[in-house]
Amino acid sequence: MRPGPQRTGVKARRNLTAYLFLAPFLILFTVFLLAPAFYGLWISLHVWNPLLDDHPFVGLQNYASLFTPGSLTSGDFWESMGNTGLFTVGSVPLLVLIPLGIAILLNRKVRGDSIFRAIFFAPYVLGVAVVSVLWGYLLDPQSGVVNAVLGLLGLPSDIPWTVDTPWTWISLIGVTVWWTLGLNTVILLAGLKGINQELYEAASIDGANSWRKFTNVTLPGLRPVMTFVTTVTILASANMFGQSFLLTKGGPGTETRTAIMYIADQGLAQNQMGAATAMSYLLFAFLAIVSVINFRVQRDNTK
Amino acid sequence: MNRRPMRWVAAIAILGLGATLSACSGGSASPSTDSVPADAEYDGPKVEISFWNGWTGGAAPVIVPQLIEKFNAEHDNIVVNNNALEWGDIATKMPLAIKAGKGPDIAVAHGDDVATYAAQGLLLKADEVIDALGYAEDDFPTGLMAAGSYGGDQYGVPWSVTPLGLYVNTSVLTEAGLDPANIPTDAESYLAALDQLKAAGVQGEWVDGYVFTGVFEFESLLWQFGGDLFNDDVSKATFNSDAGVKALSWMVDLVDRGYSPADVAADANINALISGDTAFNWNGIWQTTNEALQSVEWTAVPVPQIGDEKAVWSSSTHWMFPANKGQDPNKSAAAATFVKWMNDNSAGWAETGELPAQNTVREDPALLETYPALEPFLGELEYAHYETSAPGITAAAALITTAVSEAVQGKKSPKDALDDAATKADQILEQNKQQYGG
Repeated sequence: MRPGPQRTGVKARRNLTAYLFLAPFLILFTVFLLAPAFYGLWISLHVWNPLLDDHPFVGLQNYASLFTPGSLTSGDFWESMGNTGLFTVGSVPLLVLIPLGIAILLNRKVRGDSIFRAIFFAPYVLGVAVVSVLWGYLLDPQSGVVNAVLGLLGLPSDIPWTVDTPWTWISLIGVTVWWTLGLNTVILLAGLKGINQELYEAASIDGANSWRKFTNVTLPGLRPVMTFVTTVTILASANMFGQSFLLTKGGPGTETRTAIMYIADQGLAQNQMGAATAMSYLLFAFLAIVSVINFRVQRDNTK
Repeated sequence: MNRRPMRWVAAIAILGLGATLSACSGGSASPSTDSVPADAEYDGPKVEISFWNGWTGGAAPVIVPQLIEKFNAEHDNIVVNNNALEWGDIATKMPLAIKAGKGPDIAVAHGDDVATYAAQGLLLKADEVIDALGYAEDDFPTGLMAAGSYGGDQYGVPWSVTPLGLYVNTSVLTEAGLDPANIPTDAESYLAALDQLKAAGVQGEWVDGYVFTGVFEFESLLWQFGGDLFNDDVSKATFNSDAGVKALSWMVDLVDRGYSPADVAADANINALISGDTAFNWNGIWQTTNEALQSVEWTAVPVPQIGDEKAVWSSSTHWMFPANKGQDPNKSAAAATFVKWMNDNSAGWAETGELPAQNTVREDPALLETYPALEPFLGELEYAHYETSAPGITAAAALITTAVSEAVQGKKSPKDALDDAATKADQILEQNKQQYGG
């Protein structure tokens, strides 16, 4: 059937209405995200000290420096990328698996589940500064509560939680998990509640035990939610800044300085906006690749 | 005093915005003249001048408005508007504001920032007005004028100094059988005291690798051993000299010999002094106003002479005259009158745990009658060293913290840590030279 002129008119009007509703967001998106992003790309081609009037164009020099061993930025940048990678690899599995476990427990209609939900979610409402200062006190190697308790239990009481590796990583990951697991729990719980109960009943009739039900009903049912949770968690972990900045001050030396922390140092403390934006784009490229892989891996292969 | 972290946190908040704004600022600052008019006392038409400072904490938010109110009452033709912002906000906002002609007519900055502002053409030269106001170099502690100069011109007028000192918990000394009236002054007596404290089960000094304590202790020791942070024209880092290695090794040795615990967290050492867990802490004069400290028996003395000569780290703050686009010379002249008056009336500034820069104010016996805790710090000013004055220097100096942290944590030997930091600092100095010139 060919669309008549009248139909095209209706469609066009419907499109126009949709665009009108989308416009406010589109404008904000363009002004505050798209435009700065392209402007950043432009900055990354210059030696851009925002305090100075002259911003010499240097082409891809800022990018080339990052791949030139011995340059001012390459060593520090890749160290910070490695630190970010380490933190992401260490924190993301915990931030997906622990909330998944908690969500499944909470989904069993336990008595007082809403109280538990509130307890698990509570730390998430705190700001990163509060969380870091709080744990800074608790984890202080000499006068912190954690070491004092360990000492009472007859365990080593001089663990340098916030001062020396590898303990700094354990602290950073532990604090981050404690802080943000509530959000993932709530999202996964919502996902669990969305799975059709009849599927579980059908599986029971087929003689499936709880593990088979988990692998064949729960996990496939959660797939879209899991994809979302892992993607968002990876991005959040890869953008970690505050915890390192406040809890370990990037130390010892620069061993817990994350990519964002180094980029912020370059761009804002050292006023090297060109180098900083080049690094941001490289980090962005990495995250884009990781996100694509993540979507591929979790794609529904059954359809 | 946590000004660098604060500057950072504030800076993060405008990530992105900063770049956008700077693009709008475009043209260079073009005041009608590049110097502050040389008037001893402003007698022109009535003007309102705006004053920016980072005095948002401690006693300052009370003292400064009082002083300004008094100044305004005494001067018919000048009205000073006080504007206290976080130091971090000043660092990010002021350059753009000055270029847009909306900056302050007078501001206070830390010594290591003055040259960075001056190199960007954001400041008026103050040489002539300093002469007109009757200031000479010996009106201030030795080396303080130089700490506010850049490229052969004076841009900063000294306001305050904040040296490091040795804080002592005297109860801890007494319990260990040491005489609190006889506090160590040199390497031998200091180590002997640490030894006796160790025998009594006390780790006498908690060495850390953070700014404000460990890093400033290292810099003091570096100067004591005859070294310096950078060479004369600030083109090369020299903190990795033999003197630097000696200084850092001495600190690491305190950890190795068990006089200090390993793995001390930031600020843990002053807290340990307050809780009676340690006897000594190298810390800034600002700790004299630490309220928690007042609950214990404490005293402060000049830092012991560990190396070959007396030396101590000190920071400083300076008045500067911004070169706003279209700066009104009358306002700058009025600002100079304000600066002179403030320095003359700066005795009360000691309340904030900083020393007034002007010698006549500090040497007035009334000062110590009101603030006896400051006494040990006054004597130190004869041999105090101030932060290096060069544009962009804070980026290079930040590497010293990395080196001290790495060495104290045993990640690298003192020499390797300092060498690595110096190599990188040299690259930053080179970059600074390319960008700021000079």
